[in-house]
Amino acid sequence: MTTVSGPNDDILIKAGNLRWKLGENFHDSLMESLYTEASRLADRAVTRTGAQQHFNWDRTLDQLLTGRWTGFPLMVALLMVVFWITIAGANVPSALIASLLIDTVHPMLQTFGSNIGMPWWLSGLLFDGVYLAAAWVVSVMLPPMAIFFPLFTLLEDFGYLPRVAFNLDHLFRKAGAHGKQALSMSMGYGCNAAGVIATRVIDSPRERLIAIITNNFSLCNGRWPTQILIATLYIGALAPPALGGLISASAVVAVALLGVAITFLTSWLLSRTMLKGEVSTFSLELPPYRPPQILRTLHTSLIDRTLLVLWRAVVFAVPAGAVTWLIANIPIGDQSIAQHVIALLNPFGMLVGLNGVILLAYIIAIPANEIVIPTVLMLTVLSSGAANYGEGAGVMFDLEDHRQYLAVFNAGGWTLLTAINLMLFSLLHNPCSTAIYTIYKETGSVKWTVVSTLLPIVMGLGLCFLVTQIWRLLGGAG
Amino acid sequence: MVDPARALILAAAVSLLLVLVFWPGIGVLARWQRTRLNTRRILIEDALKHLYDYEYQQLTATHRSLAGALSISGDEAARLLEGLQSLELLRAQGEHLVLTDDGRAYALRVIRMHRLWERYLADETGVNETEWHHQAEVKEHQLTPEQADALAVRMGNPSYDPHGDPIPTATGEIPVKRGIALTKLQPYEHAEVVHIEDEPDVVYAQLVAQDIHPGIHIRMISIDKDKVQLEADGIENALAPIIAANVTVVPVDRTETIERHEATLADLPLGGSGRVVAISRACRGPQRRRMMDLGILPGTTITAEMRGIGGDPTAYMIRGATIALRMNQAKMIHIQRNEEKAG
Amino acid sequence: MTAARSETSCETCPIHHAGNLVKLGVNLTGFDYVVAMAGNPNTGKSTVFNALTGLRQHTGNWPGKTVTRAEGAFSYGGKRYKIVDLPGTYSLLSTSTDEEVARDFILFGQPDVTVIVVDATRLERNLNLALQVLEITDRAVVCLNLIDEAQRLGIAVDERTLARDLGVPVVPTAARRGIGIQNLLKTVHEVGTGVLVPKPKRIVKHSPQLEGAISQVADALESRFAGLANARWVALRLLEGDDRIIQAVTTGEIASIIRLSESAFGERMPAGEETVP
Repeated sequence: MTTVSGPNDDILIKAGNLRWKLGENFHDSLMESLYTEASRLADRAVTRTGAQQHFNWDRTLDQLLTGRWTGFPLMVALLMVVFWITIAGANVPSALIASLLIDTVHPMLQTFGSNIGMPWWLSGLLFDGVYLAAAWVVSVMLPPMAIFFPLFTLLEDFGYLPRVAFNLDHLFRKAGAHGKQALSMSMGYGCNAAGVIATRVIDSPRERLIAIITNNFSLCNGRWPTQILIATLYIGALAPPALGGLISASAVVAVALLGVAITFLTSWLLSRTMLKGEVSTFSLELPPYRPPQILRTLHTSLIDRTLLVLWRAVVFAVPAGAVTWLIANIPIGDQSIAQHVIALLNPFGMLVGLNGVILLAYIIAIPANEIVIPTVLMLTVLSSGAANYGEGAGVMFDLEDHRQYLAVFNAGGWTLLTAINLMLFSLLHNPCSTAIYTIYKETGSVKWTVVSTLLPIVMGLGLCFLVTQIWRLLGGAG
Repeated sequence: MVDPARALILAAAVSLLLVLVFWPGIGVLARWQRTRLNTRRILIEDALKHLYDYEYQQLTATHRSLAGALSISGDEAARLLEGLQSLELLRAQGEHLVLTDDGRAYALRVIRMHRLWERYLADETGVNETEWHHQAEVKEHQLTPEQADALAVRMGNPSYDPHGDPIPTATGEIPVKRGIALTKLQPYEHAEVVHIEDEPDVVYAQLVAQDIHPGIHIRMISIDKDKVQLEADGIENALAPIIAANVTVVPVDRTETIERHEATLADLPLGGSGRVVAISRACRGPQRRRMMDLGILPGTTITAEMRGIGGDPTAYMIRGATIALRMNQAKMIHIQRNEEKAG
Repeated sequence: MTAARSETSCETCPIHHAGNLVKLGVNLTGFDYVVAMAGNPNTGKSTVFNALTGLRQHTGNWPGKTVTRAEGAFSYGGKRYKIVDLPGTYSLLSTSTDEEVARDFILFGQPDVTVIVVDATRLERNLNLALQVLEITDRAVVCLNLIDEAQRLGIAVDERTLARDLGVPVVPTAARRGIGIQNLLKTVHEVGTGVLVPKPKRIVKHSPQLEGAISQVADALESRFAGLANARWVALRLLEGDDRIIQAVTTGEIASIIRLSESAFGERMPAGEETVP
């Protein structure tokens, strides 16, 4: 309460004294009189003529979408379809943008640089480092986001998402969290930064924090490509070619489901330790189903969500590109900085079943998960001397053919164990810097930002360590 | 390469150690923080609170009552009193201990933080009622006045704590005590509960278990030396006199009473409907307001529409909108079941 | 009163308080009037907003708050309107950030017009919010949306009865199909330019105890700040311990609201009689 004394304090004191007398129950009677008046006015203005067909239509749909036997299968199927459209639909435009930005514009820029007599280090830093990183992020992130967000918004407009929250609420309740966390979690499959912003729908602070901290366990767009590539190369290859696609798809889905399980587990742990308590408020309106306005949705979700998220990612990818190029090209002694760091990180990397290259790539890729694979490739080439691939030291590239990836990785000493651990680590590691920044802005707290950043990385390293050591104990290779 | 078995054992040992040290509440770190808090400042603040409490209840605080309230020895109490006097927070008039203005202001600051924190726990967290007082006992020594003010602002400057005790304002204003003991109420008299004593724990837990909270409407049915029979917000209830004595009420002239009812919203089968009679006073703060904002008010007709996959939550039709509530919330909404059975 | 009258003889002057609006993060450059849009969640509020603004809109955050804010613009009758979409809330009386943002904007921002979007299929629960908005501001238009859905459900709303009971214009719309949007624009323009002066009937009766407390504080406020149009609302907020209002009274900021209301009312009261539908 304000303690500054002013000329109007007598009014405040009068109000203060009345407050003691009124007690605090007057809010109840206040709301009662408002609603009484509202219903009196409504009664005077409304006439009902019967026909209640629309309700039945809503009710039928609800019985299907939230039914005991149909609710879950339909929900999983619907989300699978959304992801499938996103992954499959993004391939072609991604390749197109990549061929434009990387195969066409990039050489033009290089030529332009040498024509105006730019020193090699400047054109390297600008075009091979900064430009390529930004181009990568745009080509990998833009198409899936431009597909995923509008699809998601359509489901939202239709009124389906509150039903998902309704279906999942009992699981979240057992974990001490809010049913609406289901909404931010699914939003996180597109982008964790957007998912963290989506936690605003949760109105109680404790449950909102849980939703923010666990949002990173939803695989985001930047991580899907890594999962799909590694699963195809190493896990799908275990099965006969006819089943390879199915097996690798299942592996990716398994990792995503593991993320869901970890979300529940972490929410449960948090609400028993750092964020003790029971759910304080819960109410969820299930609005009537309404046909979405498709064009409007496309426009607004593109503007509000896609471009905003993309812009942030590009801003953060630019310095990362510069750093990658620099550490790969600045030598200390007879080796580049990158080679030194890889050698330093390697023993620890081996302990958790990864390697120095992957760890360094994840450090460089803090700004954007999308650049993990190209950075890994580039650093592997650099450190293993598999020099006949790619364009040279520190230039991020994309290989057309899966066999070429495999050759590079094998030259880096990868095994099936490395692949499994990379998939796990891709699920469980720090959020990208965009997400970290968003978490900070949304929570306004350094403490919770640090917790959200470190918790998944500790869990990831722990899980990889366990898998590796048990694998080795059981006599597996690697 | 490291031997996997040895690595696993080592890792297990390290994580066990970390858990032992850092686990909130039970870990070594938490224990150490607790002991560190038992400082002289806490003794002083607790002593001031005790003295103020006696003054507010118009009792005479003594050296002995202080030693008893703080569970310290007589010698320690004497040293503490000397300290308080040298800080000019206290004057001794013979046996009689009197707070100075500074002492009273200090005591009110501590009480403000205690009651604000209880209010916060009650309104905005799901912490169990029986724990509010104990958590506030710790927190009152940790909050700064600025933090307390910020908390008050966020909660809309509450004027009472969840037990009905007034929260002193930032300038140390507090109203005089009001009400009479529930046991003083005559049969057929009506009253509103304004205060519930939160100590001792056993009595308080009993009151909470019987859903007696500040704000509920009481109609006395009968009272004798063994049993107090009453109607609390339309529900018949019986209390032992020793427990009822811990409840303070203000008599009201009210002819209309909350009608008697047995069911809550959670008892409605799908398709069944009922009319809201009252919202339990255990539903407080933003949660209570949210329910009312959604149109859940005495007189509202509510129909149960859909049950979630795990049997919880349930979606209800409330004034034209479908709204899902969890079971524990539905249990706080008292209803009168509608007779006709809907399909 | 006569002084105020001569100062504000302009019939079409905006009423909003530019200083307060700028503080609330509204850029007024190039705009004549400010319109706020309030309503319950799921009432098609954003559809109405889109129908009014077309694609000229942008979203951001309320200053210092993690609440999304959408802003847009439209022109009508040669005037440029800025429209601010307030967060969708069930009420304006609770402590949630959404409600705080909405109620402070209407009270301190003094928008020239507040459009209250109500769902014709659930009139009762929506009127609860509408009544609260009308306690704060006079310059309101009720947009009775989703009349198409109501029709399908066999619900007919007599907007004339509603307008008479509320004392403010009521415009039926089906924003998804663009029905009634022209009429809404016209009504907003009329209220904005002062051609139409709504006179909401503040008829909500509280319990005698609360009513007594409100009048005591409201009387004190009115005698200190002559012409405070929503003294009862301010009094109620003081009784609810709203710190924003406590501060505004302490610092005298509350006076910035009065001058405007006073001038507006001094000038426009007589014209109001026959224009309320």
